[in-house]
Amino acid sequence: MRNLIGIVLILIVASGVFLCLDNIPFGASRENVGDFYNSSGVKQTGAVNMVTSVVLNYRGFDTLGEVTILFIASLGLGAVLSTVKTSSREETTPSSLILSTGCRFLFPFILLFGTYTFLHGHLTPGGGFQGGAIIASGFLLRYLGCPAKRTNPSLFVALESTGGLVFTLIGLLGLTLSGFFLFNFLPKGEANTLFSAGIIPVIYIAIGFKVGAELAGIIDGLIVKS
Amino acid sequence: MNFLNSYIFYIGAFGLIFIGIYILLTRKNLIKMIIGLSIIDTGVNLLLICMGFLKKGTAPIFSRPGIKPENMVDPTPQALVLTAIVIGVAVLAMALSLAIRLYQHYGTLDMRKIKEQKW
Amino acid sequence: MVNPVLLLAVPLAAAFSIPLLGFLSKRSGKFIPLLAMAFNLAVSISLIPAVIQKPIVVSLGGFPPPFCITLFVGPVGILFTAIIALVGFVVSIYAMDYIREGARQQYHALFLLLLTGATGVVLTGDIFNLFVFFEILCISSYALVAYTGDRAGIESSCKYLIQGSLGSAFILIAIALLYGQFGTLNMADIASRIDSASPIRLFIPLVLFITGLGVEAAVFPLNAWLPDAHSSAPSTISAILSGIAVKIGIYAICRVIFTIFGATDISLFLMLLGLLTLLVGELSAFRQSDIKRMLAYSSTGQIGLIFFAMGVGTQAGITGGLFQFTTHALSKSLLFLATGYMIYRAGSKEISSLEGMGKKMPLTCLAFTIGAFSLIGLPPFIGFPSKFTIVYSVLAEKSTLYIVFIAIVLTGTVIEGAYFFRVIQAIYFKGEKEKGEGREAPLIALIPLVILTLLIIGIGIYPKILSGILNSSASELLDRIGYIKEVLR
Repeated sequence: MRNLIGIVLILIVASGVFLCLDNIPFGASRENVGDFYNSSGVKQTGAVNMVTSVVLNYRGFDTLGEVTILFIASLGLGAVLSTVKTSSREETTPSSLILSTGCRFLFPFILLFGTYTFLHGHLTPGGGFQGGAIIASGFLLRYLGCPAKRTNPSLFVALESTGGLVFTLIGLLGLTLSGFFLFNFLPKGEANTLFSAGIIPVIYIAIGFKVGAELAGIIDGLIVKS
Repeated sequence: MNFLNSYIFYIGAFGLIFIGIYILLTRKNLIKMIIGLSIIDTGVNLLLICMGFLKKGTAPIFSRPGIKPENMVDPTPQALVLTAIVIGVAVLAMALSLAIRLYQHYGTLDMRKIKEQKW
Repeated sequence: MVNPVLLLAVPLAAAFSIPLLGFLSKRSGKFIPLLAMAFNLAVSISLIPAVIQKPIVVSLGGFPPPFCITLFVGPVGILFTAIIALVGFVVSIYAMDYIREGARQQYHALFLLLLTGATGVVLTGDIFNLFVFFEILCISSYALVAYTGDRAGIESSCKYLIQGSLGSAFILIAIALLYGQFGTLNMADIASRIDSASPIRLFIPLVLFITGLGVEAAVFPLNAWLPDAHSSAPSTISAILSGIAVKIGIYAICRVIFTIFGATDISLFLMLLGLLTLLVGELSAFRQSDIKRMLAYSSTGQIGLIFFAMGVGTQAGITGGLFQFTTHALSKSLLFLATGYMIYRAGSKEISSLEGMGKKMPLTCLAFTIGAFSLIGLPPFIGFPSKFTIVYSVLAEKSTLYIVFIAIVLTGTVIEGAYFFRVIQAIYFKGEKEKGEGREAPLIALIPLVILTLLIIGIGIYPKILSGILNSSASELLDRIGYIKEVLR
């Protein structure tokens, strides 16, 4: 009976949604802010990846909010799991020599790949969040493959706070130098080179470290405390 | 057929959203409800991306000098989805940590049995 | 004149630096929310005279308005920022001694971020930015409700999280549908284009917005999470959630309905929803025996009243609604803060265990009584002019249906009086319990109670202090054309 009511409600909502979607043809171009970003983005921001210029320059404040949300998640995890005793795990089978050596061998390469992704965020698809997630997956590999090595959680906390603070301070610096928060005040350079696009690579480096440290800290908290 | 061709992505996105809502309404294990939330987030992100698509469009990256901006897809929904994915991950992390504590206190994850707060 | 971005940037920078300062000294965390909220209070009060003349539009990033995120600092925004900063300041003084165990550093950082999220929602002029700051507010409150770590707290937080995330998903679907139709995310830009779309195509985004934001605002069918969450959180967090967080949801709904959609003909629906919430809240509060749960249901009732006043849709009605915002923020925070130490000394949350507290904790109980009288609407306190403005604005419409509505509102007030008097009777007129210690609350917890009481009595005697800013706030919410012109000049 409950399932039937649910399905009827869903059908009603679906028909309403369909009426609305009728006005939005799939694959047609919208001519408004999107076209403006595509046509004058390179000149105004210096980055060749338009998504990066939207994320960090035109809508940079949203990115600051997003970085804050990840910070809240890691703080909330610390607060909720703070009184859980670290469980004494029963002795699982220690990993074989091939597995643990392989994991330790791959770890620096994964970190390198993640760093490449966030460093070139303004030139190729990628950026701080994607690079940070790759770095965190390297840490996850190490936790699963050779569980004996643990990283000090204080390192993660220090890195994430510093990353967030750097982002906000760059914004405030832009405010004092030119009257707009998050103004792109460093020289824009020549498009398509590594040292271009003003503050965008700097912010992405800060975000890359922050997100990597945060996700690795979340993984560390969940593995250790459960 | 033409109708299906032009609306398939919308049907897919809303289908994922409705499957997620159905899971939330009918399953009683907390972990399954959290998975349902994650499926709803995926559906909403797919819907957002669909709003920026251009038929025969390319990625909005000027990798060589001389590329024209006429055929590029809209970069704004991609920026929105970046933020929305991160928000989804944050909520997922919070929900899992609460599930760990809940299991510690009650010994079960069946939401129909966890009803200590009365009317 | 100070750039209003500092109202958001400085608390964010302070919150990021709390863990770093925690490495140097473990006890420094509790002073930082205090300093950040004092800064916000000073800046927002200093901006009030300038904002009443002409709203400030700040573009973030240096680009012209529809292509960047704008902050729209109007009278409504600055009034709310001042209230958030004041309540946050007062509660963080109280929390310096009240929060003793648990992960204290994380508590103070989360607390500051909750207030920053609330400030961001009221100051922004871009719909996706509103969603991001709304999420900051919600996720911090999920973590803070679960702070004490006991069975009730974790269970309430789980239920709150699931309902809240579902609401957020609905808001995001609505934003996607709006972007698909209009191609822009700036509130003024959408408002200027929305007249060209037929109403039937705007129905689903409006419904999704009201449902998604209504989960946080706790309007009638969506308020199942509120009594559990507000009663199992620590008292400082209950004060902030009841006093600020639910109101931010109502503000967001009003902003979407009045400024973006311009839908003033659904006012009857909003009034009915408000009345239903009022009745459900007050009747449920009447049968509670747990004092924090009673206060949480009373919050639901007051939210219904505010929603009803906003639904009237006229200048006088919205002025009354905004005035009731201020009243509820100040009075409910006072009630929860006073109850915090009363429960701590008595050892249990039942009303029957608080009997005779009036002699052992005179100042705290006096503060509780003043808060209760102000919420009911008795004369020398702030509740009286605000309820009077609401009733007067509805009667000015001269319609028999509205007279029935006013009768229901006054019935709700009578029920409110009944359950508050039951508590006051238990505190003052019942005999003392033999066991149980009963010292007065410590001095550092009495300072916030005194500040809030002075404000309640002061504004109650001279409501004209607020009438200037309330009137301009009401006209700003209703004046869509003026809003669009200010942003997209």
